[in-house]
Amino acid sequence: MKLKFFLLSLLALGFASAASAKTVELLNVSYDPTREFYVEYNKAFAAHWKAKNGDDVTIKQSHGGSGKQARGVIDGLPADVVTLALAADVDALYDVAKLIPKDWQKRLPDNSAPYTSTIVFLVRKGNPKGIKDWDDLVKPGVGVITPNPKTSGGARWNYLAAWEFAKRKLGSDDAAKAFVAKLFKNVPVLDSGARGSTTTFVQREIGDVAISWENEAFLVLKEFGADKFEIVVPSLSILAEPTISVVDRVVKKKGTAEVAKAYLDYLYTDEGQEIAARNYYRPRNQAIAAKYPGNFAKLELFTIDAAFGGWAQAQKVHFADGGTFDQIYAK
Amino acid sequence: MRNFIRTGAALLTATAFTVSLAAAPVDSSELQVLRDQVQALQQQLKVLARQIELKEEAATAAAPATPKITVNDKGVTFASADAANSLRLRGLVQLDHRAFFNDGGAAAGLNNNGFVLRRARVIAEGVFAKNYSFQLVTEFGGSAVSILDANFNIAVSPALQFKLGKFKAPIGLEHLQSDTWTFFNERSIANNLVPNRDLGITAGGDILGGKLNYTVGVINGVADGASTTNADFDNEKDFVARLFATPFKDSAGSPLQGLSFGVAASYGREKGTAGRTGGYRTDGQQTFFSYLATTITDGPNWRISPQLDYRNGSFGLLGEYTVSAVNVRPSATGLKTELQNKAWQLAAGYVLTGENSSYAGVVPVTNFDYSKGTWGAFEVTGRFANVKIDDAAFPLYASAAASANEASSLGLGLNWYLSKAVAFKLDYYQTAFDFAAGAPAVPTSTALRQDEKAFITRFQLAF
Repeated sequence: MKLKFFLLSLLALGFASAASAKTVELLNVSYDPTREFYVEYNKAFAAHWKAKNGDDVTIKQSHGGSGKQARGVIDGLPADVVTLALAADVDALYDVAKLIPKDWQKRLPDNSAPYTSTIVFLVRKGNPKGIKDWDDLVKPGVGVITPNPKTSGGARWNYLAAWEFAKRKLGSDDAAKAFVAKLFKNVPVLDSGARGSTTTFVQREIGDVAISWENEAFLVLKEFGADKFEIVVPSLSILAEPTISVVDRVVKKKGTAEVAKAYLDYLYTDEGQEIAARNYYRPRNQAIAAKYPGNFAKLELFTIDAAFGGWAQAQKVHFADGGTFDQIYAK
Repeated sequence: MRNFIRTGAALLTATAFTVSLAAAPVDSSELQVLRDQVQALQQQLKVLARQIELKEEAATAAAPATPKITVNDKGVTFASADAANSLRLRGLVQLDHRAFFNDGGAAAGLNNNGFVLRRARVIAEGVFAKNYSFQLVTEFGGSAVSILDANFNIAVSPALQFKLGKFKAPIGLEHLQSDTWTFFNERSIANNLVPNRDLGITAGGDILGGKLNYTVGVINGVADGASTTNADFDNEKDFVARLFATPFKDSAGSPLQGLSFGVAASYGREKGTAGRTGGYRTDGQQTFFSYLATTITDGPNWRISPQLDYRNGSFGLLGEYTVSAVNVRPSATGLKTELQNKAWQLAAGYVLTGENSSYAGVVPVTNFDYSKGTWGAFEVTGRFANVKIDDAAFPLYASAAASANEASSLGLGLNWYLSKAVAFKLDYYQTAFDFAAGAPAVPTSTALRQDEKAFITRFQLAF
């Protein structure tokens, strides 16, 4: 009798557990080169969430140029979380559509940037054009591949890195503007995102040098072979801080606030940081970064706050309609 | 652009070939220059190809978000990419010619032959957020510009939809059919007994797997054949209900698949108001019955209308029977009487060219195109209809000298559908009149002194 009661209780418990387990779906709207990173991260988080709560979580990914992705979310793409290339694109979710609070960046450590990256050069094996630093990119006959700063976050980091290099070397913003204008005269194709630029350079064999996210450059070496491409580290580059946020209005509507927040929090855990490092993103956790010395180039990095007064100012001066990019790229 | 690239590639190949041929006699610096030129050209070609690729990618990505504009014989439709929002502009023009025979003509005071712009409508229909739709129909034909329909629909589900505004009262079967697709140019005289357009709200939808359509609603209440003037005469309302079944709609191959039938009814009260009684018209649009101007409605009015529609291939049949009851007084304090007028019609059509007959119109397999030798679709039609006025209407509420007690109409027609949008129709109508006891030998209404015989031809543009 006792055994029967025990078995029935177990059965009931089993049914109750099955009934209470939920399946949740999240949409992570991200920028172009994070595909591989988030594929690995999503698996890890799903396992973590299942172990912690017993619920299944499926994370869908959407990738594209960071600015373009932000516009997509503003226009109704139901992103539970955004993991975009730069803070200005996340800011737009507040500025344009009030999808997130104004102080979104203060909600997570490190100004909501759990990993960083920088900008380097990717050249063909043997570096036929002898590219060593930024000023080699403005030489006549050098084909430079970089995406469109209007749609790509990576392209904006590229643009600002080149600008700051020129400003320091040539001494003024006017000289920097002329330098960047000259650089863009060497750009034959403007892709909408970083992954498109990689395709242009690597698969379509266009150009002599691609200005690239560090993680994307390492990924190219891994995927296409170090016998075909090389990474050139410039003397100066920018500390790129991709930022993340829960999209409050969407998660409130979908009832996914808890899991969405946990999804982003997990990026700061040792496991999340480890996955980032493995995928060539610089983790905030320096102990973990130290485990992957070959994944990160050593170079002088400046911050956008120090050089340009933050993203809001940089966006306004350089990438807003009528900004310096429009001025130099007007045909 | 692709041709340009192909040509460029061919030129490159030729250049490379020339370079290889010329390699021996030229010096190495010249060769290097040529190689550089070839490489530069190759880069340019790759750039052009990539730019095309990016444009195509952008176009593909933009396609799902690109609004669609459709222009066809259903009008001009602007639709959002997800089709959840749309706006459709349609039009209807019916130019008629009426020719009456043996009615004495001008000598008898009947100047009724001529062209008539029967209908000229601009129709706007739209959908917002998939479930909210509207219809706005403006009429420029006839003698005055008016708004025929102005309503919006809230679709909770296919089984529950709310319609609010001005629309056709859901009673008469032929009346509910589009003006464009009736068998004849003019609806039958039986249609006189059902209300036209009214203001109100209805709930309805398709249930039982779409085999039963129901409508219930509340409307202001208008007289037989009348349309609302956008105002109500009193505080009373009419309740309307209609059930219409298509029980065999899923029975493919069954001869009963195209059978549908139903019943509609209305009930309301009128409170001592003048001007609420309607007049009835012939197929030729001449009045054959009207109440005396002093007659007022006061009390309950009701209608019931069993109805049937049958389609089987090229053959179509439509029938309905209507009883319309109204309580009237000869004056504000006169004797109140309930009058029951009755009408019925049976109409049939056969599409000679083999297309299907349909409540929603005949769609020709081929359009009329003289150069190609195609002629569109031809349909022959026939109809008999009868209206019987309650004998008690005479002489207290209607004049036996000026109104007929009964009208019986025979109609024969030939419809030529040049395309889905364009049709030419030729109808012949003959209507006989009977009069109440005590009526004079010669009615005072000249139109009633003989049978009405009329040809009504129509050129119709409907999209």
